[in-house]
Amino acid sequence: MSEQLSVELNKLAELERVTVELAAQVQAANPHRNAADVQVLQDDELIKLQTENTKLKHRLAILNQAISDESGKGGSTARSFSLNDDSLSIIEHLRSVLAIAITTAFPQLSHTPVLLTPSIKFGDYQCNNAMALAKKLKDIGIGKSPRDVATELINSCPVSPRIGKLEVAGPGFINIFLNKDYGVRAITDLLRNGVKPPKVPKKRVLVDFSSPNIAKQMHVGHLRSTIIGESICRLLEFLQHDVIRINHLGDWGTQFGMLIAHLEDRFPNFLNESPPIGDLQAFYKESKKRFDEDEVFKKRAYNAVVALQGGDPNSIKAWQLICDVSRKEFKTIYDRLEINVKERGESFYQSRMLTVVDFLRKQNMLEVDDGREIMWPDESKTGIPLTIVKSDGGFTYDTSDMAAIRHRIEEELCDWLVYVVDSGQSTHFATIFKAAKRCGIFQPKVHRADHVQFGVVLGEDGKKFKTRSGDTVKLADLLDEGMKRSLEQLRSRGRDQVLTPQELLDAQEAVAYGCIKYTDLCHNRISDYVFSFDKMLDDRGNTAVYLLYTYTRICSIARNSGEDFSNLSKILETIDITLTHDKEWKLVSTLLKLHDVLVKCSRDLFLHFLCEFCYEVCTAFAEFYDSCYCIEKNKAGQIVKVNHSRILLCEATAIVLRQCFYILGLKPITKI
Amino acid sequence: MAGEDLIAKFQELGMSEQKAKETLKNANVTKNLQLALDEIKGAALADGVGMLIYHMASKLKPQVAEHLPLLVRYILERKLDNTQRVDAALDYILKSGQKLKASINVEELEKECGVGVVVTPEEIERHVQAKIKGSYKEALLEQRYHFNAFKILQDVRQELKWADAKSVKAAIDVEIFDLLGPKTEEDLKPPSKANVPKPKPETKASSVAVAAVKEETPSDGASSIAELMRTKVHFHKPGENYKTDGYVVTQNTERLLKEHLQKTGGQVHTRFPPEPNGILHVGHAKAININFGYAAAQNGVCYLRYDDTNPEKEEEKFFVAIKEMVEWLGYKPYKITYSSDNFQQLYEWAVVLIREGLAYVCHQKAEELKGFNPPPSPWRERPIEESLQLFEDMKRGKIDEGAATLRLKLTLEEGKVDPVAYRIKFIPHHRTKSAWCIYPTYDYTHCLCDSIEQITHSLCTKEFQSRRSSYYWLCNALNIYCPVQWEYGRLNMNYALVSKRKIAKLITERIVHDWDDPRLFTLTALRRRGFPPEAINNFCAQMGVTGAQIAVDPAMLEAAVRDVLNVTAPRRLVVLEPLKVTISNFPYAAPLALDVPDFPQNPQQGNHKIVLDKTIYIERSDFSQNPDKGYRRLTPKQSLGLRHAGLVISLEKVIQDPATGEILELICTSQLAEQAEKPKAFVQWVSQPVKLEVRLYEQLFKHKNPEDPNEVPGGFLSDINEQSVSIVQAYADQAISKAKVYDKFQFERIGFFSVDPDSKEQQLVFNRTVGLKEDSGKK
Repeated sequence: MSEQLSVELNKLAELERVTVELAAQVQAANPHRNAADVQVLQDDELIKLQTENTKLKHRLAILNQAISDESGKGGSTARSFSLNDDSLSIIEHLRSVLAIAITTAFPQLSHTPVLLTPSIKFGDYQCNNAMALAKKLKDIGIGKSPRDVATELINSCPVSPRIGKLEVAGPGFINIFLNKDYGVRAITDLLRNGVKPPKVPKKRVLVDFSSPNIAKQMHVGHLRSTIIGESICRLLEFLQHDVIRINHLGDWGTQFGMLIAHLEDRFPNFLNESPPIGDLQAFYKESKKRFDEDEVFKKRAYNAVVALQGGDPNSIKAWQLICDVSRKEFKTIYDRLEINVKERGESFYQSRMLTVVDFLRKQNMLEVDDGREIMWPDESKTGIPLTIVKSDGGFTYDTSDMAAIRHRIEEELCDWLVYVVDSGQSTHFATIFKAAKRCGIFQPKVHRADHVQFGVVLGEDGKKFKTRSGDTVKLADLLDEGMKRSLEQLRSRGRDQVLTPQELLDAQEAVAYGCIKYTDLCHNRISDYVFSFDKMLDDRGNTAVYLLYTYTRICSIARNSGEDFSNLSKILETIDITLTHDKEWKLVSTLLKLHDVLVKCSRDLFLHFLCEFCYEVCTAFAEFYDSCYCIEKNKAGQIVKVNHSRILLCEATAIVLRQCFYILGLKPITKI
Repeated sequence: MAGEDLIAKFQELGMSEQKAKETLKNANVTKNLQLALDEIKGAALADGVGMLIYHMASKLKPQVAEHLPLLVRYILERKLDNTQRVDAALDYILKSGQKLKASINVEELEKECGVGVVVTPEEIERHVQAKIKGSYKEALLEQRYHFNAFKILQDVRQELKWADAKSVKAAIDVEIFDLLGPKTEEDLKPPSKANVPKPKPETKASSVAVAAVKEETPSDGASSIAELMRTKVHFHKPGENYKTDGYVVTQNTERLLKEHLQKTGGQVHTRFPPEPNGILHVGHAKAININFGYAAAQNGVCYLRYDDTNPEKEEEKFFVAIKEMVEWLGYKPYKITYSSDNFQQLYEWAVVLIREGLAYVCHQKAEELKGFNPPPSPWRERPIEESLQLFEDMKRGKIDEGAATLRLKLTLEEGKVDPVAYRIKFIPHHRTKSAWCIYPTYDYTHCLCDSIEQITHSLCTKEFQSRRSSYYWLCNALNIYCPVQWEYGRLNMNYALVSKRKIAKLITERIVHDWDDPRLFTLTALRRRGFPPEAINNFCAQMGVTGAQIAVDPAMLEAAVRDVLNVTAPRRLVVLEPLKVTISNFPYAAPLALDVPDFPQNPQQGNHKIVLDKTIYIERSDFSQNPDKGYRRLTPKQSLGLRHAGLVISLEKVIQDPATGEILELICTSQLAEQAEKPKAFVQWVSQPVKLEVRLYEQLFKHKNPEDPNEVPGGFLSDINEQSVSIVQAYADQAISKAKVYDKFQFERIGFFSVDPDSKEQQLVFNRTVGLKEDSGKK
């Protein structure tokens, strides 16, 4: 027992000794200091994180406040501010009114999007939220009929200067009637100050359109890009965006080798004497034939390309000569169609292609594949890769499009890019956009890119539009044909007897070019359409001719009143607009939708909505004109009464149409 | 006109070439003179007219410069024919300068300037005779030609405002001659010194630096703030803002000043506007004294305004500490306000400025704007609507910190373009909490808060002179009352460090203990060291309110401290390094209680009791075994008097530590003082002492400007005086044991000491405030 005890005691003594030793070691290691150091390090990091956290929390609080202010929950000032903002379109205005109503009546469902449609039969607009809201309320245990919901919404709508009355209809629709006083005010303002653009966030937009190739004819495919692009520019400019119009001309590439080589043979003196290349297309075909058949020529052509890309002055000169011939041809067409676009061809990106390749290489975006350098549009490496560098070291369309998008975003500082190119290129552009995003050029949060695609033009046989001989239709010929047909039509109506030669020519051009453009624009651009002069020149239905006739008719009313309506502001000092007749109101409420339509068009860059609006205005006007006398005459044809208010409505209609025509590229003429 | 041509033209006005060249350097005067020359159109000038034109041109204030042609015409027509009339005209015009394009009432102007008033020699003679007879005859007879006749001249001209000074002087000379006759030899001697009271000797405490300051500005200071504000400060009267240099008069000025006067009742309004992000230091004491002092001297009010526009570094403790220090200096704020109270108003005004096209949102980065000639903002001309929207976005937290600022369209004097008015900070504010994430800058906030508080005199240091134009511009851009900014020179203390960051560094490096370490020059440190607030105030008064930046040695402040403590700190006997002395023939049977006056030179101010016992302690240094020549205290052969005890002691025996030789104790004999031979010195001593901890402070830095890299290349941390604090255990008589924190005493023969807040019940801690003499702290 005692033995055991002494063993235990010895063990304990040993343990104590070790403990003391360890304690001494710990002491020697100066644990205080080390602990303090670690503490300090942690503290710095901690303090930094805490500061960051405070900042984020603070910003969150501020943003939450801002959200509640802006959604009209807490900040009555913000609410009244936006409701009194005349530059909002009616739909946007109504949407904010109803959003407030939803938030006020059903705070738990405050983020429900407002469902609004224009309406003709029941009021001017209709809100269809009540049904869905009732369902959602039911889900969270609140039982209310859609009609009750609608009633509550109506009761929760803030007072709006634009709304006349709100009614519940049917199972729970809310019919919205605009306030006629507001209509009077808005039309008066329109007459006084012209059409003001609706308020949208301003952007710097680059529109890439038309883009024909040097040494080739412009054909009907380019026609679409040119017409749609021009109208998109006009629309965006009217909305106060900063628009850059770019013609991405095909002025660079291997084909110039054979053209230059051929030029050297055909016109050896081209450096001193401008070669009379009458038909560049024929010239192109000749050189192509030689290129395909003659190996020696082919070799020379390759050398010429190298010389051109190397900046050899003679080659450059030859290249410019060839481009100038095409440029002249393009210009005639642009002048005829009143197209305004800045040339910036592929050659412009020559140096930028080098830098973009460099840029992509540095970012490790390029992969070597069978001698080429390719770039996958995203990390998953699926789909079609871009060929950035060919196996011979040359560049491709992919390269130049990457260089272009980089230039447009980083140098031109655009935040919206619009490419007006046919639907066949949709994969290509989707790939380019993805790739630009992948390498950080294109940032979806900041930038927007649209490939505005369009379908093909079909002949009346429903096949691709061709000449009888099967060639592609040259644009110049098409325009000539249009001029011829429009003159025939005017003559058949005997207009050549009434109009002066100049008036006749103006009318001829307006009709010819107008109908070609309008036909192109009035269909949903994505679908194909059938090109038919007969349909285009019809004066009934939604055609340019109908719109132009209606416009001249409207203009003639004031002219025929025997009074001077040229100074509208002055007339408005004495005349008030009155809206008593239904058709008057219908016309006005249609005109008021202009902002809605413009905003709608700009959202997805569809112009056929604007065409439809023009047609709607014209039919509303026709109804108005049929039922409301503007000028009353006796049987002898003398004017007995002039209804000034109505003539002002005619003028307002003309102003709105004029603005739409401008965007659509139609030339308003006062006589036809 | 080329410089040379101008010099020639100036000389035609009667200037010397030298003068003309100097004048050319002053752009403002040159401009006025050029305009004047255009008015003269080369007409021949009568004698002296040229110099009057110069006089006028050099005194004309810019805000009334439009009236220059009128003045020139009057001078040319000899309606203003002496400097006095020109000055009167300038005054009058300035007075009417409150309105923009004010028309001058010519009749009144002429009346004010005494145009056409002719004073005949007879009139002058009559007045001179009357004056001399009435007031000066006796003095003249006594002092004869040593009498300063200028007084008479002044007196006469009080009545005869437009009399020609020369004629008056001549008349006075004649009269004096009549009275005294020709000068005697005595008259020609310099005045005898006996008559003149001796100039007061400079206080012993004043240092070289003090003398230098005094030489430069002999009359700027005063002995107290009240006196300073009454006699040395010449600010404008409330409501007469437009009379000050550089004040900008707009079409609204007259109305705004009228409204301002209605609101204030003509009372002076000043403010002390510290940023609540640190501790106040001695430099702030000047600002506090000037703002509160001026308001007090003028029966006005002074605000304490926390300029809390920067949320980053504000802490509750600073707010409290600032108020405490203001009150410690003896001032009571009329109201305590906060710049942040005005955030909403400031924001609304910013929107007004944007709407007026006077401000815009800019996206240049802070780094881009640093340095000289930063690139101009490409956003300057952006549409107003856009700036409004972006400013709203800034306010709503939609824009990142640093990605946008609001800038004012204006260029400051020193060339800084478009100062920033608002910046984004995602930091909650001490008072407004999470309400704001845009915070206004000093430039933007300061003048507008001044305007809101109807400040009459916006007093600030000289560095802000370059902000004066933006100050006026902003108030005028918003059409609100515009106060007047007056600048005074900053007060810098040598051997001191006031930067918050650097003091914090000293604390983290454990060189000093805290913000109130008595070696620092924060106000809390000075309080802890024992500086009485009135001494600090008087010191500020001595510095004056001039524009010159002053750098003084701490010695000057210490001198002011001594002046106050000398008459307020009661005396006590304390020995810092005690040496035990046993009196072998102690003459009393028991310990003796003695009454000792608190202020020996003024015994009626009170007494305290001390104990005399057989064992006493004297200062170790008051005994020497091997004295140098001239040593006056206790030696083996020399006796020593004990202050207040009536005893003289003589050495009997020295008890030493046998090992170290250290003196442990002295055995002395004593004699009553009246019986003993008069000793060479009396020293302090204590019996039955209490122990004190005494902290002796020295200057913290070795060099005058520890932050100046030329003087201290290693940075201020390398300039620390290692012995800046030493702690001794001292003995004091028991009378001191009831002292409370901040009580101040003079330890006889040592210095002034103050009770430190570290004191505990049984353990008093004293800080040395200052030594008795200036050099006592130096080695």
